[in-house]
Amino acid sequence: MRGDPVNDPAAAGNGAAFGPEQAAALLEQTTRQARRKFQPAPPWLLSTRAVLVLAALGGVWLSVRGQHPYRGPTAADIPVLIGFVVVNFAATVGIRVRATAGITGRTRFTQAEILVLVLAFAAAIVAMAGLGAAGVGFATYPTSVLVIPGLAWAVLAAARPGRRGLATGVALVVIGIAGAFAGPAGAWAVAAAGLCAVLLGSAAAVARQQRT
Amino acid sequence: MTDDGLDPLIHVPTRLKIVATLAALPDGDGLSFTRLQDMLELTPGNLIIALRKLEEAGYLSSEKTRNGSAQKTTVTLTRQGRAALGSYTRALRSLLGGL
Repeated sequence: MRGDPVNDPAAAGNGAAFGPEQAAALLEQTTRQARRKFQPAPPWLLSTRAVLVLAALGGVWLSVRGQHPYRGPTAADIPVLIGFVVVNFAATVGIRVRATAGITGRTRFTQAEILVLVLAFAAAIVAMAGLGAAGVGFATYPTSVLVIPGLAWAVLAAARPGRRGLATGVALVVIGIAGAFAGPAGAWAVAAAGLCAVLLGSAAAVARQQRT
Repeated sequence: MTDDGLDPLIHVPTRLKIVATLAALPDGDGLSFTRLQDMLELTPGNLIIALRKLEEAGYLSSEKTRNGSAQKTTVTLTRQGRAALGSYTRALRSLLGGL
């Protein structure tokens, strides 16, 4: 709109009135847009991941809950799980890279922090292999893989400004431990419901933060 | 200050948008000139003029780095700039009756 200082900022510079009402509207609009564009994990992405994790892990739980004795996920479940992990990782990293483009400082992970996260995931894989060697495979206790990355995430988040993500890391550890007490089939249900709840909680927290 | 107590350095649409955008980042984080220009849809000339005014007032700092032949400029809102936006926001709220 020509002449409207909010929608046409040039107008104010050309003598049009830029009163407190327009300034307040422009300030609120700009702040909201900037927070949305800078957000590395937007609520819509977190909510989508929540639904997908519930569908993927809940589907596995439905397929294994009737097994006596427990044999683990079927051959049809494995590609779904791998596909979920790959799509989830690619979408998360892609959106994070786009949101933090051009930003310098603590918003971005440092190389040391990235190394800690990579090592945590590597340690989780080693732990899974160890469980397998001991006769207790990942398929038996699927949530055990969450404990080490969850701890690493919590430690990193505790050291960052605002401690954002600390609750998420702690929740992952709790889910990992709780799943170990739920039995082989129940662990899939704990993972599905727990991760879905964590992601929805994160989405709500981010949405609330963007509004204030 | 303007007659209504608003900081005249901030109370200009272009500069208000710059300060509000940089304030959306955590304290001390900077933003590249190109990303800022892209977000605010300003011409380089207009953005440079506005940034220069804010930098002269101590509201933001800029840093130029060179990567090969390309030069990158990063702007960061200073504590003084963040405090000025806080005062400006309070003044606005006061003028608008706490809205």
